[in-house]
Amino acid sequence: MNVEISLAVNGREWAGEVEPRLTLADLLRDHLALTGTHLGCEHGVCGACTVLLDGQAARSCLTLAVQADGRQVTTVEGLSEDLLPRELFQCGFCRSGFVCSAEALLRREPLPRAVELPELLAGNICRCTGYEPILDALSARLPG
Amino acid sequence: MPGYLADLRAPGALELAFVRSPFAHALIGKISGPAVTATELGVGDLRLGGHGVAPWPWPALARGEARFVGEAVAVVWAETRAEAEDLAESVEVEFEPLEPEAPRRLFERTIDAGAVDVCFQRAEHVLERTFSCARQTPLPLETRGVLAHFEAGRLTLWSSTQIPHILRRGVAQALELEETAIRVLVPEVGGGFGLKAHVFPEELVAAQLARRLGRPVRWIEDRRENLLASVHAHDNEVLMRAAFGADGRVLAVEADLRCDVGAYSVYPFSASLEPATAASAIFAAYDLQGLRVSARAVTSHRCPVGAYRGVGTNTAVYATERMLDLIAGHLGLDPLEVRRRNALRHLPCTTLGGRELDSGDYLELLRRVESVSGYEALRREQAEARRQGKLFGIGLALFNEHSGTGQSEYRSRGIEEVSGLDACRVRVTAEGRIVIHTSSVEIGQNHAPAYRRLTERMLGLEPGRVDIHEGDTDVCPPGTGAFVSRGAVGVLDAIAGALRLAGKQDLAPGTDVTCSIDPKQVFPSGAHLAVVEVDAVTFVPRLKRYLAVEDCGNVIDQRTVSEQIRGGVAMGAGKVLLEESAYGEDGQPLAATLLDYLVPVAADIPRIEIEHLVSPSPISAQGSKGVGEAGTIGAFGAVANAVADAVAPLGAELLELPYGPQRIFAAIQLATTSKQKKGRRLGG
Ligand code: FES
Ligand code: FES
Repeated sequence: MNVEISLAVNGREWAGEVEPRLTLADLLRDHLALTGTHLGCEHGVCGACTVLLDGQAARSCLTLAVQADGRQVTTVEGLSEDLLPRELFQCGFCRSGFVCSAEALLRREPLPRAVELPELLAGNICRCTGYEPILDALSARLPG
Repeated sequence: MPGYLADLRAPGALELAFVRSPFAHALIGKISGPAVTATELGVGDLRLGGHGVAPWPWPALARGEARFVGEAVAVVWAETRAEAEDLAESVEVEFEPLEPEAPRRLFERTIDAGAVDVCFQRAEHVLERTFSCARQTPLPLETRGVLAHFEAGRLTLWSSTQIPHILRRGVAQALELEETAIRVLVPEVGGGFGLKAHVFPEELVAAQLARRLGRPVRWIEDRRENLLASVHAHDNEVLMRAAFGADGRVLAVEADLRCDVGAYSVYPFSASLEPATAASAIFAAYDLQGLRVSARAVTSHRCPVGAYRGVGTNTAVYATERMLDLIAGHLGLDPLEVRRRNALRHLPCTTLGGRELDSGDYLELLRRVESVSGYEALRREQAEARRQGKLFGIGLALFNEHSGTGQSEYRSRGIEEVSGLDACRVRVTAEGRIVIHTSSVEIGQNHAPAYRRLTERMLGLEPGRVDIHEGDTDVCPPGTGAFVSRGAVGVLDAIAGALRLAGKQDLAPGTDVTCSIDPKQVFPSGAHLAVVEVDAVTFVPRLKRYLAVEDCGNVIDQRTVSEQIRGGVAMGAGKVLLEESAYGEDGQPLAATLLDYLVPVAADIPRIEIEHLVSPSPISAQGSKGVGEAGTIGAFGAVANAVADAVAPLGAELLELPYGPQRIFAAIQLATTSKQKKGRRLGG
């Protein structure tokens, strides 16, 4: 019943057989040892598992590995450390999701405005910081 | 750092899944399938119940009866988590639903101090209300998790925990092992907020199965389990009466607290946690002549209640601050003025509730709130907004809270299993590096910079020579762990003590000294102000502005303090506006996903303004006090009052948290119908 898929993760090709029910998150974490992508709810609400799928933000807990067949996946491991540095966070568990959501926003054309950020990032939960440090760091890169 | 618990490489590990009760109360009959039940598991009970606490421990697996929805009844394992979950699905349990049991009283604390009856007889006014604090849950973004491995007679337990040494002790008890035969290791922790300060049934099960199966065993909680069967908080009802004069001076307060602690008593805190902390926090920042409190912990068929950022203080401050605003409204006085007239003026002092307040300047806190917020202008802005038909509210809170609880306080609350000690071990390596081991653990509060700075300052070291290493019971000295903001109190004192000892040995390589401290509670304080606008059509409340004036004594690391306050405020605002672990009449939980249990997102939280006042503690060696809970506690008062103030012109009175659109709508409906009735009565 397994399905053969191939995809590029952070620019590297990966091919293999997967169970149809395997999520992209579990593929990344358990099969590719890319544990930077975290799971906070596994039902599509918290945003911790966000990755980029062909440059668009996607919830890897709701995306099946087979849906990523033939596509480009970017995880926190493939993005710059400086985008949202670790010091902005407290426990840091939400960071990978924010980094990927932020990267997706920065790739938009035209760039969103800084005032829109709170709404645009409303799909990522952070339980520790109150969001301000994250929003401030990102606002600095956007038109006001 | 090896990453978070689920990130640990564990070759050959078996993954666990639990079969859980779908009923609030049921007899457990035949279990068919490949599952291990309580009898086969053979794990003992955790010891609970000191002075005044009825023992009612949470078993590793339900024995005979399940007492809440989500309670673990049996366990299965497989090579992967998905397969383990499939197996758990295949297990059939014959449940026989039972009627709910009458609540058991597990703990009671009473306070009867001063001339309560005389004050009530003499007072010009008496106001009575019942406030309720919704059942909520801490919800760290990382769920719980444990990885156990038993090898050569020794158990190694990786756990996402705030309390490594207490976990070691609990597991040793339940599995009848020597504590020295257990090593607890803590990886990066994705948030705790009190939730991870318990020894959980799943940890006992994983440890026992690792011993029995001879293979590493891992359990990673899913969010549904976390929402249904980790710990909840609050679920308190406070019947409060206040006796006061026409000038707004409160003479005496009576409060009756009923704390629903769920199905079992949690380890190590027991069921006394909420009632004991709430009782002493009622009107604790105010000058009273009489205080009578009775606070009880009673069971129900719901998830057990445990520690959560601020514990009972949240309920107490919520009820106290709401009452003060109702008094102000009753007399037509300004809420800030009412607080000024009632605030404690001479510190240090001991409150009627028994809090030994070490330092603080509550009038100055209020003055700062007034000046920094531009209070008068804000009230004018409100008047103008109201003229335009907007529901615009301003809310205040003045409070103190306990931090750094030590041994004697725990014993007096009937809690035997928390040592209350904080400890630090300082080692000097052959290369001359200074290694600091503490009994605490890093859970996102980022205390390492403060520890490092203190070390460099005390020893006169250039930066870069100090290593902090926590979360390993084999090398760290035994102590209490990371909760109730012990870091800024006992842990810092222990570090200072150990550094002094190390200094006496001239930091010679090979130096290895330990200092253990029994801290005495110190009381940070704060005055907060919130501005809320409630949408006039949808009744959705929005937090527009927030100011926290904070006094946590000497500040060791400014950034850490601000981060703690900001995060705490966001959490408290969520508790007031959104969060509720609701149950239906039949004991079925109504919030089993993050779509039903709502937490604040970026768009819900404004920029938090933070101001600092410094009243050094004469008790802690560094003059510092804990700050981890203050933001949350303040928001319970300030945000609640702001929402209530916004809808006050409609005659609505809010008493039940959370103050979401439904509750606001209901309160407005109630006000309208009672006004109509009154009108009819007058007319007819
Ligand atoms: S883990 Fe995917 S959204 Fe929460
Ligand atoms: S830093 Fe802990 S959840 Fe964001």
